[in-house]
Amino acid sequence: MSLFHAARARVRLLLARRDAEARMDEEFRFHLDMEADRLVREAGLAPQEARRQARRRARLAFGHAERHREELRDGRGPSWPGGLALDLKLGVRMLVKYPGITLVGGLAFAFAIWVAAGAFEFAGQVLFPRLPLPDADRIVALARWDAAAGRAQPQALHDLAAWRTELRSVVELGAYRLARRNLVTGDGESLPTEVAEISASAFRVARARPLLGRALGEADERPDAPAVAVIGHDVWRARFGADSGVAGRTVRLGRTPTTVVGVMPEGFAFPVAQSLWVPLRLSPLDHPRGAGPALTVFGRLAPGATLEEAQAELTAWGRRAAADFPTTHRHLRPRVMPYARSVALVEGSELLATRASYAFFVMLVVLICGNVALLLFARAATREGELAIRSALGASRGRIVAQLVAEALVLGGVAAAVGLGAAGLGVRLLVGAIEAHWGERLPFWFHAGLSPWTVCYAVGLTLLGAAIAGVLPGLKVTRGLQGRLRRTAAGAGGPTFGGIWTAVIVAQIAVTLGFPVIAYHVTRDAADTRAMVADFPAAEFLSARIALDHEPLPGGDTSSAAFVVRRAATVRELERRLRAEPGVVGAALAERLPRMEHPPRMVEVDAGGAAPEDPRFPGGYRTSSSAVDADYFDVLGAPVRAGRAFHAGDLAPGSRVVIVNESFVRLVLGGRNPIGRHLRHRYATPGPRSGDWEPGPWHEIVGVVPDLGMSKATDPKVAGFYHPLAPDVTGPLHVAVHVRGGDAAAFAPRLRAVAAAVDPTLRVDAVARMDTLGDAGIAFAMFWVRLLAVVSAVALLLSLAGIYAVMAFTVARRTREIGVRLALGASRRRLVVSVFARPLTQVGLGVAAGGVLAAITGDSATPAALAGALGYAVLMFGVCLLACVVPTRRALRVEPIVAMRAD
Amino acid sequence: MIVRPPSDALRGSLDLLVLKTLSLQPMHGWGISQRVQQISDGVLEVNQGSLYPALQRLEKAGLITSEWGTTDNNRRARYYALTAAGRRALGAELESWRRFAAGLEAVLRTS
Repeated sequence: MSLFHAARARVRLLLARRDAEARMDEEFRFHLDMEADRLVREAGLAPQEARRQARRRARLAFGHAERHREELRDGRGPSWPGGLALDLKLGVRMLVKYPGITLVGGLAFAFAIWVAAGAFEFAGQVLFPRLPLPDADRIVALARWDAAAGRAQPQALHDLAAWRTELRSVVELGAYRLARRNLVTGDGESLPTEVAEISASAFRVARARPLLGRALGEADERPDAPAVAVIGHDVWRARFGADSGVAGRTVRLGRTPTTVVGVMPEGFAFPVAQSLWVPLRLSPLDHPRGAGPALTVFGRLAPGATLEEAQAELTAWGRRAAADFPTTHRHLRPRVMPYARSVALVEGSELLATRASYAFFVMLVVLICGNVALLLFARAATREGELAIRSALGASRGRIVAQLVAEALVLGGVAAAVGLGAAGLGVRLLVGAIEAHWGERLPFWFHAGLSPWTVCYAVGLTLLGAAIAGVLPGLKVTRGLQGRLRRTAAGAGGPTFGGIWTAVIVAQIAVTLGFPVIAYHVTRDAADTRAMVADFPAAEFLSARIALDHEPLPGGDTSSAAFVVRRAATVRELERRLRAEPGVVGAALAERLPRMEHPPRMVEVDAGGAAPEDPRFPGGYRTSSSAVDADYFDVLGAPVRAGRAFHAGDLAPGSRVVIVNESFVRLVLGGRNPIGRHLRHRYATPGPRSGDWEPGPWHEIVGVVPDLGMSKATDPKVAGFYHPLAPDVTGPLHVAVHVRGGDAAAFAPRLRAVAAAVDPTLRVDAVARMDTLGDAGIAFAMFWVRLLAVVSAVALLLSLAGIYAVMAFTVARRTREIGVRLALGASRRRLVVSVFARPLTQVGLGVAAGGVLAAITGDSATPAALAGALGYAVLMFGVCLLACVVPTRRALRVEPIVAMRAD
Repeated sequence: MIVRPPSDALRGSLDLLVLKTLSLQPMHGWGISQRVQQISDGVLEVNQGSLYPALQRLEKAGLITSEWGTTDNNRRARYYALTAAGRRALGAELESWRRFAAGLEAVLRTS
């Protein structure tokens, strides 16, 4: 039982050390008062005198008590909270005393935290989005899931009406569909804008109040109500100059005159990233059940309802609907989910690439921690004498390691603060880079701030890093400290660098050799493709994407066949007018333009191709293709090199001709004559069984053109072929305009004006000079490359500093040995060789490993790259040599007797 | 006898004095020193500087407990009391002290 009491008392004293001291002070005071009272009572002294005497006796007596208080503070008694404060204070002092290590190590740490926190925050925003709206977790989206087909059925018009009346757990139901429409302001400027046709309840669901004017109301949804729109803050600022009298102004949306009734505050972009809202005017009466336009349904959970209750109610409704309307609803399973989940972000190859880079950065963080550990070890080893004395005075091993960890923690803490502060910037950079790459805005809930989870994660990483960077060197230095104190006094060696540390040094050198080489290769690739000279003067061309709204002409046919005809006619009219422009040399239409990403096509070649087939697609070749105007190649100034170009007869339905490019001839046909050969699409039409695909008809190859760039600029030489552009094409269309003299980009406003004159609903998007196409992709790649370069620079700096410190320390430790050997008559040369042998071996191993690493990852070795790598290796050798030479010279210069006294 | 910074044997005797005093009734540090002085007729004077460390040491060992209380003249003081373990330890200490004294006596008698 006494053990229990003892433990309890110890714990209490441990936790209340300060209380213990205060308690002792109070007891002493009490004792003093009682003693003074006694002296007054028994010796008849005056109270003042009594107190003085009591205090004098106390002073004499309490010398002993003072020592007890010291014991309280030291490592003997329960003291670690106070000890930690002292260690942290010492840690700060150490940081200031060794500014070099502090700067380099701190920078590396901060960088690692910056990267980790930024990546974590961004991943968090993708996986667990938080909407910046009031009560955002109660905003839900409803979807109709077709269990038989395995996908969503967005034709929710009739169900929306039913849900509005029948559901109790979800209120304020509404729907939206998104579009891009031309917004024509009073000055005639026509620019495509992100529009949402949306129910008025959206503004209630988002609990957003307009900045000016009013939001949409139920009255606006009536089919006979006048056309109104609410504009977003960015449109208000950019197109209307933030005019406060904008409410009531008339603009045109496509062909429709619309009145602006309100402006939304900054940051409001519900449902996804929209800047203009018009009422959704759809009636279930106009469409048969189960048909109708694709809509996204949203709503808010009723007060007190949970997501599970809503799902249960919805499932029950689904069963009733399946019974009532078996033809349309038999397989439908309605679902309710948090709103943000309904907006699926594209999981493209870009995200995969970032996942790979994430692993890379994690590797980097580990490496950086090892590096910092190495630096701290070097520093701790120089303080070995001090640590040994501390140990002799009674500090336990754990205590000393705790001190070193506290120092690492101070360094880590400062670095983490810097890194976190910059992480917000990092996320902003990443968001900007991604938006530039995709060409469209991210949903409105992506923001550049940091969530509390990210901060916790960063703090955890810091603690972990400090533990690694403090514990490893601490354990190493304190092993056998007692014995070493004796030996150090007698003059024998110090802590040795065993296997693990050698491996760390070698790895350091290898990696810092490898990083810049890899970075150089990647940079060079990107730079190369940027400098790829297209076989036509791309700077003189303006490119744009053309699209036509489905807004029908008043009183016109609204069927899709009529739309196709109207679109073809409109587009041809645009081409004709452009060609008639005085500033235009030529204009041509195409499905895709050079340096855009062309969709891949699997083709088969008659009589087999000459080149090896792609193992993933037996019997076929992976190529790209595009459909182009008949005079496309002439307009681009890249005329046909062999065979003939397309002519008007090829545009007739049923003609089967294609023109291939030179890479196709080289890669697929092995350089043989392509004219007269045939190719066909491998997977043109769906076959009888699902998953089956039939090949298409054979097409004759009639011409060869030079490579114009059939992929984004990072992959220049792709085999491809061209179809003639049929008049009734339904896919995306681009126009290439050859502008006469001067900057092609200056023609852009004229292009828009011509398009607006042809048809106000003709949208002209992504206007860019043709030699800058694909630049967004390059910018994205360059962003990563620059990041890599910075990373390499930091790693480089750190490694060099670490290697220098460690090697200088190793050699300086041998001062005594050098002195003794000199005194015994050893030749200087042999001495120097023996001292340099080990460090230089390590460096040599590191450089060799680094060279292997660089050789594996880099592919071609240009003379410039080799020279660069060689120069870098020489630099590393130089640094290590310096690290060995400086202390050795010092050691050789002193008198042997002085060297022996050195410690 | 002025108690100088004690060696082990003398430290043990201080512990014994404290434990014995507390076995009669719980009291505060001042009271303990006064009681020892009174009972020994002034021969044994407990040094304040070693009394309080001893009290903390005994408390850490679980032989006594303490809590705040008020004295007769309304001063706040820390009162110490013996635990069951303390009582057992007192018995053991008495035993060893008596053996020590007997041995000492035996050696001093033969001269």
